[in-house]
Amino acid sequence: MLPKTYDVVIVGSGAAGGTLAAHLARRGVDVALVEGGPKVNTHTDFNTHAMPFEFPSRHIPTMKPGKSGFDSERARGVGGKTMLWNAVAWRYSERDFRGKDHDGAGENWPIHYRDLAPYYERIEREVGVCGNLDHLEDLPDGIFLPPVPMKCSDLLVKRGAAKLGVKVIHVRKATLSRPSASRPACHFCGNCMAGCDVAAKYNSADVHIVPAMKAGYKLDVFSNAVVREVAVSTENRVTGVRYLNRETKAEGEVHGRTVVVSCACAQSVALLLMSKSRIYPNGLGNSSGELGRNFIPHFTGGIQFFLSEMIGKPTTNDEGFLDHAYIPSFMHNRKRDYARSFGVQFGYNNRRSVGWARSMPGFGKTYKDSVRAHYPAFVVFSPYGEMLPNKGSYIDLDYEKTDEFGLPQARRHVTYMENDRKLYADMIRWSVEILKSSGAEILSGTDDKPATNHELGGCRMGDNPKRSVLNAFCQSHDVPNLYVVDGSVFAGASEKNPTHTIMALAARTADHISDRLKKGEM
Amino acid sequence: MPDRREALKIMGAIGTTCAFPFASNELYGQHVHPPPGASAVYGPPRFFTAEEMATVSRIADLIIPPTETPGATQAGVPAYIDYVVDSNEEWRKLYRDGIAWLHGERFDAMPETDQAALLERYIDRPGDELPVRFFRALKSMTADGFYTSEAGLVQDLGYKGNTVMASFPSCEIPEH
Repeated sequence: MLPKTYDVVIVGSGAAGGTLAAHLARRGVDVALVEGGPKVNTHTDFNTHAMPFEFPSRHIPTMKPGKSGFDSERARGVGGKTMLWNAVAWRYSERDFRGKDHDGAGENWPIHYRDLAPYYERIEREVGVCGNLDHLEDLPDGIFLPPVPMKCSDLLVKRGAAKLGVKVIHVRKATLSRPSASRPACHFCGNCMAGCDVAAKYNSADVHIVPAMKAGYKLDVFSNAVVREVAVSTENRVTGVRYLNRETKAEGEVHGRTVVVSCACAQSVALLLMSKSRIYPNGLGNSSGELGRNFIPHFTGGIQFFLSEMIGKPTTNDEGFLDHAYIPSFMHNRKRDYARSFGVQFGYNNRRSVGWARSMPGFGKTYKDSVRAHYPAFVVFSPYGEMLPNKGSYIDLDYEKTDEFGLPQARRHVTYMENDRKLYADMIRWSVEILKSSGAEILSGTDDKPATNHELGGCRMGDNPKRSVLNAFCQSHDVPNLYVVDGSVFAGASEKNPTHTIMALAARTADHISDRLKKGEM
Repeated sequence: MPDRREALKIMGAIGTTCAFPFASNELYGQHVHPPPGASAVYGPPRFFTAEEMATVSRIADLIIPPTETPGATQAGVPAYIDYVVDSNEEWRKLYRDGIAWLHGERFDAMPETDQAALLERYIDRPGDELPVRFFRALKSMTADGFYTSEAGLVQDLGYKGNTVMASFPSCEIPEH
C-alpha cells in the first residue's frame, strides 16, 4: 500500500498546532498532527492535586507515577504547553502590531489589528475567555465570560496603584467562569499550572483536538513521533516530515501536501535549522539568513513582597485560579526615554510554595511566628517588558550537545541592549512605587537581573523577504507550501502574554491554507 | 464523514496509534478531589551518622522549635535534609565539615542559651567562612523541609487550598 499523503501535516500539538488541526479538519481538510510526546489523559495523568510532602524531594513531579510525558522540550505530550500554561489571554493592540510606527524602534508586523480581530473573536467564542470590558485603548476588549472576583490582595494593590493613576483590571483567561456544554466552570483549586484535570482551563487536546476527532473529521494524531526533519523536494516543495519514535527510536515518515511547523518558538526554529538540504544548506526556508535571528522573548522580574494590611490575618483559601488581576501597559503614552512598554502580572504563586521562608530573618519562635504572620500577605509581582530585536539575541543549534534522539539542542542567546535595560529599570522602579503606595514590605527581587519568559521571534513574519522568514500569512517566503505558526513568527513581542495571538494566528492560517487547498494551489 | 477504519489501517501500517484514552465529557461534572497522599517515608539516614543526625536535629529545632505546632524534628526535617544532602557532593562536604567544626566547638554539650548564641553569631550573615556557609545551608533546608511538610504547611501555616469552591468569594476592603 502506498503511504497516504495528507493535505496538511502539522508538527506540534499545542496552542498553535491544536487550533490549526481542529480548524482545518472542520473545513474538511485531511490533517495529520505529529507530536513528539505521548497522548496524555488530562483527568488521570497529571499530579494535579498532589502536595509537596508526598515526595521525599518535596518537588511535585508533573506526571503521576508510571505516566510519561512532559519530560523533554522536544517531546512534551499531546496538548503541548497548553496543559501547563496559566491561560492568560490578551488581544494584542494595534500598537503591538505596529510598534515601529508608534515609537520608531524595532519592527512592525506585516498585519494590523483589524486582520486578526475576527480570529481573536472566533477563539474567544470557541474556547471561552473570562474577563471584563475595560475599554482600554491599548488592550482591546473581546467576547468575554464574566470576570472572576479580585482577591483581597488585588484590591489592596488596585487601591495603591490608583493613587498613582495606574489601573488594575481583572485578568482575562481562557478558563471558564461559567460551564459550557462540555466543560465545567473553574472551581478554584489553585492547580492551573499542574494540568487542570477538569479542562475548565483551555488545553488544545480536550478543547480542539479530541472533539474534532470525535466529530469524525479527518484528523489523525501521530504521538511519540519526534520530528527530526521537514523534507523538501528538488522542486522546492515540502513533502512531509521524518521522525523518530520517542520510545523505540524507529524512523518514520508522514507525507503531506502542506507542512506547518508549530513546535513552540525555539523548537520550531531548531527543526527548520536542522532540515538542511542542497537547496537550503543553512536551514529550510532560510535563504534570507534570518532564521533564528530577531529572538525577542519577554523579560521579566520577580519582586516578592508582603501586603502590610494582610500580615497577621487568618489564613484563607485564596489560591483561586492563580492571578486574578493585571496592570495593563500604561507607559506607552507617557514621557519616557525608551521605546515600548511593560505590564504587570501579579499573584500567580499558589500557597503551597513557601520558598520565601528561607529569606526571612532570624530563627527560633520569633522566626516561626513571623513566617506564619507573613504567610497570608505574601505576593509576587512579575512585570513583563518588550524586548527589541538585536543582533546578539538569536537561536542556533548546539551540535556538541545532542539529546537522547541524537538531535542538536536549540541554544538561546540573549543580549540586553540599552532600550531593554532602560525599560527593565523603569518597570522595576514603577513596580516598587506601586508596591510602596499599596503598603507593601518588599522582601526581595528589586536588584535581580531580568529573566526571560514567553519565547518569541526567531522566524518572524514580514513584508520584506530579505529581513523576515515568513509573509503576512505565516507562509515561508522561500517554500510556498511551508508554514510556521507559533511564538517564533512574532515580529514584535508586545509586553502581553502571547498565546491568544498564537491561537488567532493559527485560526487565520487555517483559513488561508484551506482556501488555497480548495483553489488547488497546493 | 471520513473512513476511520481506513485511517487506522494506514496508521497501523506506519506503526503509530491515535486512540485517545480520554474520559467522556459527562465525567467532567463529577469531579471530586482526592485527599492528599500520605507523607513520604524516608527510612534510616542515608548520609549522616547517628551523632551527626542528632546535631542536625538539634539545630533544626533551634531554627524552628516546637510551639503549639510541631517543631522541625517532629515534622521530619532532619530526614529530609539527610535525603537532600546525600544527593549532592558539595553539600555532603559542607555538612561533614560544618558538623565536625561544631563538634570541635563542643556544641552538643553546650547549654541551650550558648547554642542559641552560637547560631546568632553565624546565621543570616554574609561571607563565605565555613560556619556561615554551613548555617546558611542548614537554615534554608530547615525552612524548605518544614514548610513543605504536612506539619509545617497545613498545621502551622494553616494551608486551606486545593479544594473545590462553587464560586470565588469577593473581598471587601476599606477605600482608604
